[in-house]
Amino acid sequence: MNLLVSSILQQLFDQNIIYAGIGITIYLTFLSTIAAYLFGLPLGIVLIVTGKDGLHPIPWLNKTLGFIVNAFRSFPFIILLVAFLPVSKFLIGTRDGNGAMIIILIIAATPYVARMVESSLKEVDRGVVEAARSMGASNLQIVWKVYLPEAMPSLIVGAVISTITVLGYSAMAGEIGGDGLGAIAITYGHQRYKDDVIWVCVAFMAVIVEIIQEGGMLVARKLDHRIRQNSKKSKEKKSIYKENIS
Amino acid sequence: MIQLAGLKKIYPSPSGDIVALENIDLTVPDGAVYGIIGLSGAGKSTLVRCINLLERPTEGSVVIDGEDLMQVKKKRLREIRRNIGMIFQNFNLLEQRTVEANVRFPLELTHVKRERANARVSELLELVGLSEKAKAYPSQLSGGQKQRVAIARALASEPKYLLCDEATSALDPTTTQSILELLKQINRDLGVTIIVITHEMKVVESICTDVAVIDKSRIVEEGRVEDVFSFPQSEIAKELIIPGLIRSVESSGGKKLRLVFNGEEADTPVISGIALRLGISVNILYADTKNIDGKTFGHMVITLPAEEEKAELVKRHLDEQGVTYKEEI
Repeated sequence: MNLLVSSILQQLFDQNIIYAGIGITIYLTFLSTIAAYLFGLPLGIVLIVTGKDGLHPIPWLNKTLGFIVNAFRSFPFIILLVAFLPVSKFLIGTRDGNGAMIIILIIAATPYVARMVESSLKEVDRGVVEAARSMGASNLQIVWKVYLPEAMPSLIVGAVISTITVLGYSAMAGEIGGDGLGAIAITYGHQRYKDDVIWVCVAFMAVIVEIIQEGGMLVARKLDHRIRQNSKKSKEKKSIYKENIS
Repeated sequence: MIQLAGLKKIYPSPSGDIVALENIDLTVPDGAVYGIIGLSGAGKSTLVRCINLLERPTEGSVVIDGEDLMQVKKKRLREIRRNIGMIFQNFNLLEQRTVEANVRFPLELTHVKRERANARVSELLELVGLSEKAKAYPSQLSGGQKQRVAIARALASEPKYLLCDEATSALDPTTTQSILELLKQINRDLGVTIIVITHEMKVVESICTDVAVIDKSRIVEEGRVEDVFSFPQSEIAKELIIPGLIRSVESSGGKKLRLVFNGEEADTPVISGIALRLGISVNILYADTKNIDGKTFGHMVITLPAEEEKAELVKRHLDEQGVTYKEEI
């Protein structure tokens, strides 16, 4: 028996459980994040458009949505997880497993994504929006042709941060009978006192985070035309993105 | 023709209403280059935004070619806005679009066919002299080039009017001059009526035909540029047109004359004439001449001799020379 690697860890590798865990973690994370954007992106847009300085201020709607978003965001994830299981039961007929986890992750991530989108869109220069209005653009055209394209690099940075947050949440899938690296770390590592299993799971998650982070930032940088390419400033530009990571 | 009548704009605030504009009556004839000048905070930026209803006036009417914008529906307002181009101090270009895509933007809004739009874009870029920058992004351009792109973009929908909100305030003097030349050319060649908001007298001097002076939310003076420049009535206009005049007049005692040169007289040696022909020496307190539309305009403040007789001689001499003057206290 190997002294450094526990037999359980060895088994997990041999039976491909670790690799399956990686696959499920990625699947849970991306599916939930994409679905959260389906709801969170329009919600973030509505928050901007109906805001005080927005294209079409509707104070009551803005305040109500803002309140709901904040209320959801104030749930610690583990509490939200158990509290919304009935919703999962109602929607997909089950309150455990990966399916339920995806429903809960979407519920948790949507308000988060909405705020991310809102803050990205807020960065768009109001003067540019004003210019578009002066050209006779409709509100829909301004959202579609000004807000979203102008904020694209920032939206991508936001998506990276959101994805990584969801990845962290997905580690709790084990709590409701779901799978993934987090579940493996808890059931095989924590509950059987095998620290090496935990560390291997963490290491794989760290690699996934790093890939999402670096890949996302690369895309954001490529898409951003605000700062002169191939100049001294491109170094400064990199550092701007680095700061955004945390 | 743009007619503003009884315009008032109030911004409500917890600490009481802020009056940004009051009793604004203004008529901009077609083909004019109309300057609206005032110090910062006078309300001029709000005023220009009331013309295309980016800011909705609290009261009054904004009539453009017979149609009151305050009464029209949203959709119609957007159509009217396409007839009123606008450029800004900060250029407000779309940073993630190339130069040509920026100029094409207004055409996309009205779903102009791609080929036609592209043809129009190259035409416009040629007009503003930036054809070779078509594929560049705004961050790769200088301030003057950015404003040229903004002008091309504003002209894309073939507007009858062009609003310029401090369009040259962020530019250096040389670039300012070239942008002003371009605006002048647009007014002359395309017949676009231009409204220029500025705090800089030199802008009004170089391109405007008419001017309105705005101070503390009200228009205090308006008229043809030559008239307002020669005989500014309000304190603020005097300060803007002849800065230093008021101070120079206030700082010394005795009687003073303000001489106004209208074109050719600026070349004739009026002051040395007084000294040589009349043997009377006058003190020059202030002098400033400007070149407007090829004619020389100027102001000069001189002290009058204390003796009534000599003072009369000086005045008669000025009359003979055809110089207009006004006694200042």
